Amino acid sequence: MAGRIEARMRRAVTAGVSLAVMSLALGGAAQAETAPFRIGALNPVTGAGSPYGPGMQKAIILAADEVNAAGGACGRKLEVSAEDTQTSPEAAVLAVKKLIEVNKVDAVMGTWSSGVTLAVMPITTQAGLSLLNTSGAPAISTEDKADLVWRFQATNDRFGQAFARIATERGFKRPATMAYNNASGIGNTEGFTRAWTAAGGEVVSSVVYEPKRPSYRSELQQILAANPDVIVMGSYLQDTTVILREWYQSGQNPDVKWIIPGWAANQQLIDALGPDVLANVIAVDSISNESAPSYAHFEAAYKKAMGADAPANVYAAMTYDMVIAWGLAMQQACPDTATAAVNGSIRAIDTADGAPVYTFAEGKAAIEAGRKVNYEGASSRLSFDEYGDVTPDFSLSEIDGGAFVRKGVVSF
Amino acid sequence: MDTAYYLNLAFNGLVEGSIYALGALAITLVFGIARFPNASTGDLMTVGAFGGLAGTLAGGGLLGAAIAGVGVSAAVALAFHFLLFRNLARRSAVASMIASIGLAFFLRSALSFIFGHDQRVYDLPLTRAVLFGPIRVQPTDLQVMGAAAAALAVVFAVLHLTPIGRRMRAVADNPDLARASGINAGRVMAVMWLMAGGLAGLGGVLLGAKTVVTSEMGWDLLLPAFAATILGTIGNPIGAVLGGLLIGLVQELSTPFVGFTYKIGMGFAVLLLMLMIRPQGLFARNALVR
Repeated sequence: MAGRIEARMRRAVTAGVSLAVMSLALGGAAQAETAPFRIGALNPVTGAGSPYGPGMQKAIILAADEVNAAGGACGRKLEVSAEDTQTSPEAAVLAVKKLIEVNKVDAVMGTWSSGVTLAVMPITTQAGLSLLNTSGAPAISTEDKADLVWRFQATNDRFGQAFARIATERGFKRPATMAYNNASGIGNTEGFTRAWTAAGGEVVSSVVYEPKRPSYRSELQQILAANPDVIVMGSYLQDTTVILREWYQSGQNPDVKWIIPGWAANQQLIDALGPDVLANVIAVDSISNESAPSYAHFEAAYKKAMGADAPANVYAAMTYDMVIAWGLAMQQACPDTATAAVNGSIRAIDTADGAPVYTFAEGKAAIEAGRKVNYEGASSRLSFDEYGDVTPDFSLSEIDGGAFVRKGVVSF
Repeated sequence: MDTAYYLNLAFNGLVEGSIYALGALAITLVFGIARFPNASTGDLMTVGAFGGLAGTLAGGGLLGAAIAGVGVSAAVALAFHFLLFRNLARRSAVASMIASIGLAFFLRSALSFIFGHDQRVYDLPLTRAVLFGPIRVQPTDLQVMGAAAAALAVVFAVLHLTPIGRRMRAVADNPDLARASGINAGRVMAVMWLMAGGLAGLGGVLLGAKTVVTSEMGWDLLLPAFAATILGTIGNPIGAVLGGLLIGLVQELSTPFVGFTYKIGMGFAVLLLMLMIRPQGLFARNALVR
């Protein structure tokens, strides 16, 4: 009986009764409009994400300050509580529970690795909170049944498409793939393989490998036996360090090129191996919306706050956009600023026919004047697809003078 | 998939197996003499890897790393013998085992707290592999295997050529009789912990040289090292080394058939099979540490 009612409820919701209306009906609007809206900043301050986490956290705080300086969203100030995920799912679960139960946050922003996001998602969804993340695993799109999860980073699948585009442009003919055995790693290489074979190409060899092995010689031997001209990786820093060192030291196929995601092929990889080993590496990373006024605005604020250049941290631009977009959605949802209502208004600040706006203050003024807006983010144009995913541009970088230097941009 | 391919797989397996073997040697010594499964062995390896890092930073190269790593982890093992395991010796083996699990967590957390989670790399010169017939051999691999062989030789020399070694074997054989004969069990235990810590540390340094150093690295080696210990009969040093090599071999040689994600399971499949056929292990004799 209860099941039947539930099924009917679900049908009703899918039939288009919006969440906003539901929460109104349930008295969600009854809460005080002046209480601060609490944001949980859940970032990888330590662990594998540590090159990015501190900047991501800072970007959330400075964006919240910006919203507050403009008088808040719908009259409510934003308040940030920060926790460290340690880039570990276990630690992230403890941290998110603390944010929800102790800090009483209304939304969680800035989870970085797919493993962390997938671990935190069920908890935030259960609590009815939105989760804004910078992870790549395709599973995040499909697991998000409640439409509470918003991704400000390209999916691994789109990374894979970018890899395929670059492989085509560089004239490679015989790609092989190596993937770390998790949703993100395999998502990268599967995305590549789909795009590459759809264009009529073939992948000569592929391996899925386990993390933290004492050696990857056997895996490499299988890949190199197929004589590829490029090896496409879905990998992380640690395994990439070991694999590239063993490849270089083995002296096999010294001319083979590597296409590696930017979170693995970064300055830390150069520190570990030296630039000579990485001469054949093409690092591919999603990049910020660099030509947009919103990016220039963010860059100046970030530099002032961090003393570091924004391009070194694409994820900081994403977390900055999370807060600005969320603030605008609150403004759009006004007077009901409960999480569910704001969550339901995110697409409304990304309307194709809306006036493009580049800062919170600008967007707030436009919404108050009753105009439709389209927030063009600092991290990407923020065009959310049906899954709440965005499509940023990608850069390809190669070693030049001991550092990775951008050599081109790929747009979709 | 020709002979050369399989030969290279076998060689890779032996190199990986050498690292398992060092962990297994450390486990088997503790098991034989203190009579409990030491779950902190993996994290003692991590301690050794970080000690080795200090050795390379001091400009000692791989040899300096090995000396520093062995020294640090032997000292840590001895310290926890006095702080922890000595007081539990009269209790059941379970008490010591639980304590060793606690020690494992403590060591890992302490290292994470002090050094963070970022990877560190031994600053060693990059070398090129040499072809021995069809087999590609990297100098590091030879050093790994050589170190495992040398460690085994040292363990044997101590056990069979020194007075303290004879006492260790006596304690392993029959603690009550050994005590009645006037053997100082305290000194035997101290030397055993120094050796076990040193062996784990050496394994950690070699793993660090081959991969990267993180606070989590040793934990992942604990299970294969335990499997190697059981495969080669608990308490038997030769068995521990051969068990480690066998698991490495089976893992790598299985890859053409089961792929690279299930190869780890193959090592345990061998263990299961062996336990069904020979529950006492491959090298069982009536006595331990002989």
